[in-house]
Amino acid sequence: MFRFALKNILFYRGRSITTFALTFISTILFIVYVSMMDGSHKSMLENALKVYTGAIEIYHKDYRDIGGNEYLIEDVKAITNKLSTIKGIQAYTTRYETYGLLSSKEHSAASMLAGIEPEKEKDLSSIARALREGEFLDEDSGNCLYMGKGLVEKLKLKLGAEVSFIGSASDDSFAAEIFKLCGVFKTGSSEFDSSVSFVNRTYFDKVMYTDNKASYINIKLDDLDNVDQVNEKIINILNDESLESLTWKTLMKTMVEAMEVDSIFGYISLALFLVVIFFVIMIYGFINVSSRIKEFGVLRCIGLCRADVFSLLFYEIVILSSLAVALATPIAAYICYYYSINPIVIEGMSEMYKDYGIVSDEIPFDFNLLTISWNLGVIYLLNILSVIYPYFYINSFRPIEATRHV
Amino acid sequence: MFKLIVKMAWKNSFLRLSRTLLVIIMIAVSMSMMLGIQGLYDGMADTMIDKNRRSGSGDVSIFAKGYRVNKDLQYRIKNADELSAEIKKIEGVKELVLRVKAEGLLSTARKSSFASMQGIDLRAEESFGDFSEFLKEGEINLEGQGALIGLELAKRLKVTIGSKLVFSTQDSSGEINSIALRIRAIMQTTNIVLDTNAIFIDAKKMHRFLGTDSSEATQIAIMTADKKTNDLLKANFSDLDVKSFLQLQPMMKQMQDVMIIFNSITFFIVMTVVFIGILGVMYVSVLDRIREFGIAMGIGMQYRYIRIQICLEALFVGFIGYLGGALLGALFLLYLRDYGLDLSAFSDALEMWGYASTIKGTIKISYFTTTFAAIISASLFSVFIPLRKIKRLNPIEVIKAEK
Repeated sequence: MFRFALKNILFYRGRSITTFALTFISTILFIVYVSMMDGSHKSMLENALKVYTGAIEIYHKDYRDIGGNEYLIEDVKAITNKLSTIKGIQAYTTRYETYGLLSSKEHSAASMLAGIEPEKEKDLSSIARALREGEFLDEDSGNCLYMGKGLVEKLKLKLGAEVSFIGSASDDSFAAEIFKLCGVFKTGSSEFDSSVSFVNRTYFDKVMYTDNKASYINIKLDDLDNVDQVNEKIINILNDESLESLTWKTLMKTMVEAMEVDSIFGYISLALFLVVIFFVIMIYGFINVSSRIKEFGVLRCIGLCRADVFSLLFYEIVILSSLAVALATPIAAYICYYYSINPIVIEGMSEMYKDYGIVSDEIPFDFNLLTISWNLGVIYLLNILSVIYPYFYINSFRPIEATRHV
Repeated sequence: MFKLIVKMAWKNSFLRLSRTLLVIIMIAVSMSMMLGIQGLYDGMADTMIDKNRRSGSGDVSIFAKGYRVNKDLQYRIKNADELSAEIKKIEGVKELVLRVKAEGLLSTARKSSFASMQGIDLRAEESFGDFSEFLKEGEINLEGQGALIGLELAKRLKVTIGSKLVFSTQDSSGEINSIALRIRAIMQTTNIVLDTNAIFIDAKKMHRFLGTDSSEATQIAIMTADKKTNDLLKANFSDLDVKSFLQLQPMMKQMQDVMIIFNSITFFIVMTVVFIGILGVMYVSVLDRIREFGIAMGIGMQYRYIRIQICLEALFVGFIGYLGGALLGALFLLYLRDYGLDLSAFSDALEMWGYASTIKGTIKISYFTTTFAAIISASLFSVFIPLRKIKRLNPIEVIKAEK
C-alpha cells in the first residue's frame, strides 16, 4: 500500500504540490508564531523577575493582604539560617519596605523606600546593574539614597543633594530622616524608576526600628524550573504556619494570567489560518479522490477491503505531510533558534508600552523542541483529519457502482 | 443566449454537489471566523480608545507649557475658566471639562501607594464622557469626604467602599498637606493610568486642599466634532500645550495601526488560501467537462460565451459562499457585540491591562464590503488558468480524446 501511495503522489502532481505547499506554509507559520508568542511572554516574565521580584518570597501571613507593621517577619536571622541549609537556593536577601514622602528643597513626591542588603542584592536583582549615575550602595553607605531616575527628575535632584523623608517606623511612631542622594538607577520599568528608592538596611534599621525584622525574604534559585520543589522544601523546613512561601507564579499571578489571555488570542488567530488551510487540503484531497472513484472501485473489486482504502489515503497524506514537515521544520526551527539568540528589536517599544510593564525593546523567540514537537503533532493531526471525509465519500459507493462511475 | 448561459452556469455549479458544497463551506467558515476575529480585535481597540477619550484626554487636551514634563502645580493654567468660555464659543467644540491633578501618597492605616488625585466636576464629567458608566461598585457621590478610586489602586491598597484614606501631597505653596477621604465608589475606566493611580474628589474641595483658585486647572479636556477643530484649537492657543488624543496616547495609535496591519495580513493570507481552494475546484470542474466545451466550440459556440459561463459558475459558488459567511459572520459578530467573549477567569489580568473582563466585538459595514470584493475577485481570478486551458483547445482533438 505504501508503494502504491507513493506512485499516486507522483501521478497526481497538482494535488501533491498543493498539499505539500500548504502543509509547508502552515508548519512554518505555526512553529514560528508559537515560538514568537512564547518567547515574548517568557521575556516579559524574566525581565520582571530580574528587576526586583524573587523566584520565591517568604512573607508573614496577611502581610500581602492586610499589611501593616504587625505583619513583618520577626527573627529573620533564624529563618535565613534555615534557608542556608536548603539545596537549590543560590542566594537570598531580606528587605524592609515602607512608603513615605521624600522632599527636596522645593519638591515632594511619594516613594517606596526599601532597606536592602547591598552585597546580597547584587546577586539577586538587577538594581545594582541598573546604575546610571553615582554609585550603588555598600555596607558603609550610611544615609546614602539610591534612587530611580524618574523620581530624581520629579524631585529635581543632583548627586549629593539632601532629601528629607517622612514616614512611619516599624513601631508605628513618626519617622523622619535626611538622606543624601548617592546613586541613580534606571531599570526601564517606568513605574519602578519613578517611585522607588533604596537605603542600606544596616542604617535604615536604626531609623525604622527594624533590626532582625523584614517585610519579606527574597530568594534566588539555581534553576528556576525547580521552583515548586524548592518551595516545598522551604515550607517543610520553616514549618511555621505564620509564614507563607510564595513562588513567582503566585507573586506574578496577574502577569501570568495576562500572558495566558494573550496566548488565547494568539491561538484564535492561528486557528483561523489552520482551519482555512485544512479545508483547502481537504478539498484537494476530495477532488483527487472523486476523480479516482473508478480506480477505487476496481481496487475493491479485486479484493481490497475498506481498511486498505483508508491505508492508501492515510499513507498518501502522511507521506506528503512528512515531506513538507521534514523540509519546513529545520527552516522554522532555525528561525526560532536564530531569533532566540538575536531577538527582533523594535525601537521605542518599551517606551510606548511602559504602562504595561514592558521594559525591553527586544522580542526574543523561544526555541523549545517540545513546543515544536506538539506543533508538528497538530499539523499531522489536521492533515490526517482531512482524509476522513474523502474516505467516507469513497465508501459511499458500492464497488461495482464505483467501477462504472463517470 | 445570455439567459441560457446563466442557466447552464447555475446548473453546472452544482453538478458535483459535494465538491461545490465543500468550497461553499470553506468560504463561509473562513469568512465568518475572519469577521469574528476582526470584530473582536477592533472591538477591543475601539472600546479602549473610546473609554480613554471619555475618561481622560477627550479629543484634545490643553495644559500649561511644562506641566506634562514636570507634573507640578506650578505649571497650571491660571485663567482656565476664561479660556474654557472662549473655547466653548468655537464651532466644533462639543464638550469640555476642567481638571486639577496632584500626585502624592495615598495611605490607609496599613498600606500606602503612589496616587494621582483629580479634582473633577461630576456634572461636567457626566456630559463630557458619561462618567457614571465607569462605576464598578458603590455610589458616585463626592459630598463631604467622599472620593472615588480606580479599581487597580483599590486592589493594591485593599480598600473597599467606606474605607478611610489619607492623601498627602505638596500644595501650591510648596507645603506638605494631607486630606482625609472616604471611598464612596470604585471606578473602572479601562484607562490604565486612571485605574492604577487615580482617586477622584470634588474640584472645589481639591482647590481648597491645594490652595489653588477655582478659576485654575491643570488640564482642559475637550471633545470636538472633527480634526479641523483640533487644528483650530492648536492654532488659537499656541502659547499653551495643546495635544490631540493620539499625541497624548501614542500607544493607542500604535494599537490601531497594529490592528489594521494584523487584520490586513490575516485577510490577505485567508483570501489567498480561499483563492487556492476555489482555483482547484474550478480547474478540475473545467477539466471534467473539457469534452463538453470542445463539442460546444466545435458546433460553433464562441469562446466568449464559454468564458462568461465559467466566470458565472465561479461567481455563483463564491457568492453563495459569501452569503453563508456573511450570515454566519453577522451572527457571530452580533453575539460578540451583545454578549462578548467572557474572560472573567482572567479578570485580574485583563483589568490590570485596562480591559473589561468581557471583551465585546464591534460590527463595521466595511468588513462585509471588503470581504465581498475579495471573494468575488478571488472567484474571478480562479478561472483564469482554466480559461487559458480552454482557449488553447483544439475542438477536434478534444472530441476525439477519451476524457
